[in-house]
Amino acid sequence: MRITYFFYYVFINVVETLIRLFPVPAKTGYRKIGSPNENSPVLLTCNFHLTIHRLKRAIRGIDCHLLIANSKGINVWCAAAGGLLNNHSVISVIKTSGIEEKANHRTIVLPQLAASGIEAKEIQKKTGWKVIWGPIYAKDIPSFLEKNFTKSEAMRQVKFPIIERIEMATMWWFFLAVIQFIFWIPFIIWKPFLLEEALSMCVQIFWISAISFILFPLFEPLLKANYKADGKFNFKRLIVIFIMIFIAAIGVVIYTFVIKDYDKWILIRWSIISFIMVIIINMDLTGTTPVLKSDLHEERLYHVAIDKEKCRGTGICVEVCPRNCLEMDTKTNKVSDPRARDCVQCGACIVQCPFDALFFRNNQDEIISPENVRKYKLNLMGKRDCCLACKISNTLSK
Amino acid sequence: MKILESAPYRYDKGIKILTLGNITKAYDRLTQQVKKGDNILDVGCGTGMLTLHALIKGANVTGIDINTEMLEIARIRIENSDFKENVNLLEMGVAELDNFDENEFDVIMSGLCFSELSNDELNYTLKFSKKILKQNSLLIIADEVKSNLFVFRFLNFLIRIPLVIVTYILTQTTTKAVKGLEEKVTRAGFKIESIRKNKMRNFIELVARNIKEN
Repeated sequence: MRITYFFYYVFINVVETLIRLFPVPAKTGYRKIGSPNENSPVLLTCNFHLTIHRLKRAIRGIDCHLLIANSKGINVWCAAAGGLLNNHSVISVIKTSGIEEKANHRTIVLPQLAASGIEAKEIQKKTGWKVIWGPIYAKDIPSFLEKNFTKSEAMRQVKFPIIERIEMATMWWFFLAVIQFIFWIPFIIWKPFLLEEALSMCVQIFWISAISFILFPLFEPLLKANYKADGKFNFKRLIVIFIMIFIAAIGVVIYTFVIKDYDKWILIRWSIISFIMVIIINMDLTGTTPVLKSDLHEERLYHVAIDKEKCRGTGICVEVCPRNCLEMDTKTNKVSDPRARDCVQCGACIVQCPFDALFFRNNQDEIISPENVRKYKLNLMGKRDCCLACKISNTLSK
Repeated sequence: MKILESAPYRYDKGIKILTLGNITKAYDRLTQQVKKGDNILDVGCGTGMLTLHALIKGANVTGIDINTEMLEIARIRIENSDFKENVNLLEMGVAELDNFDENEFDVIMSGLCFSELSNDELNYTLKFSKKILKQNSLLIIADEVKSNLFVFRFLNFLIRIPLVIVTYILTQTTTKAVKGLEEKVTRAGFKIESIRKNKMRNFIELVARNIKEN
């Protein structure tokens, strides 16, 4: 049984990493982990199939109640920031899963990364359950529970280790390789020997995407745009693209050595396809990582601003920030943002602040209020405020 | 992501394609049961299609939905109609149905919402619908269902696949089918009055009466 589960676990990890760009929903509701009693801790996660299996593996041996909230099959962070894992998903699973009869306490541990989309205050008000923000990574949960719901600073921060970088590389590789292969199919039917070239191209794409992510720590300082640069194109990004084109060119050269017999047409089509792949991967390379903000969105021009008058020093923002940008000044009891450069604009601090002391602001002093961040999360870029109403009227009148 | 974000704006169009235009007719038939002045709850009102049908009949409607954007569309749609006084749209999920008073409503209706719910949520909704619905009042449901007969399920599958793909590409909207709806409604203590299924047996219009025992 254990060995078959192990193989199943490996299998779903491989398959779901390949199709990581697409949601894989699992059944929502209550799951029993070990043999919990009414005092056992209650944890909650999203209904992305892979997340649930990885979480279960990380907490095996611990007796607890697990609630699976509806996130439409998307991982915690993306679903929370995109507004799919929200207050309603949590309220619904708490009230309909029967957990209220199974536990005699009213404390629920939510993943810290869900703080972008779920308001702890609202959950407490509507269900009576107190939200505790758990660690970011499931592997830290056992120690978090053991130490009575306290987490170290490291547990609060997202990282981008090599294994995760390879996962992202695999995800892009499979997606791009399949799509480019589909384009080859008519040509392969026409001239079957092209199959070999099409498959070689898949290898080339793997090379490009793997190197992009393996070398990411080198690229990171170049990709990190100054948040006050006001949306000007970050020319350092071009350096990254040039390096990647060079890497892709190495791939092309190796291919010509391998097949020996090549003509200029092979060289031309290989160069074009490789170039397109480099551009696609670089288009939102930063957004694919958890440590840099996406630069595809209009919201990149905004940064988190602090209203010191409103700040009362609760420190909730510091606790939910996955990039450790914020710091509490113990003397003045006000928060400051000494590491604002690291911000990925997940919005967690803004959503959680009970006194609305944080908000988004750009260099033109235009602001996005906490109320709007909570209501529309990050999935309504450019559609907030008046734009929303205009857009709807336009759609209805069509 | 950009495409997905604006999905709610294309929802209505998507549903009309998926149901091949039958949704409006179904809503018309179902709201024939609605009388002037009825206090109605629309569970999962979405963009307010069914809500507006009931409003035209002269009812007072409370519409609930969890999707902010859909509600925004419903709000604007109703504001452009002549019935804006008789409606109350709330952003809340079925898990909050217990906030309403007992015997508060004359009719509870729901269009294409039950299929979006999990089993737990569906049973919870039925349980609390029974509480907040007046005695001998009606529960009206229009939704996609799975047929009990394999032949129909298979035919459905063949026809639906291209339809689902086309609809998804055009509007990023899709629907699911609810399983065992009749049994669940009966088990929750409702008496089914009428069931109307389409020829493909994949769309149900169900009217059930709330019989309270005491």
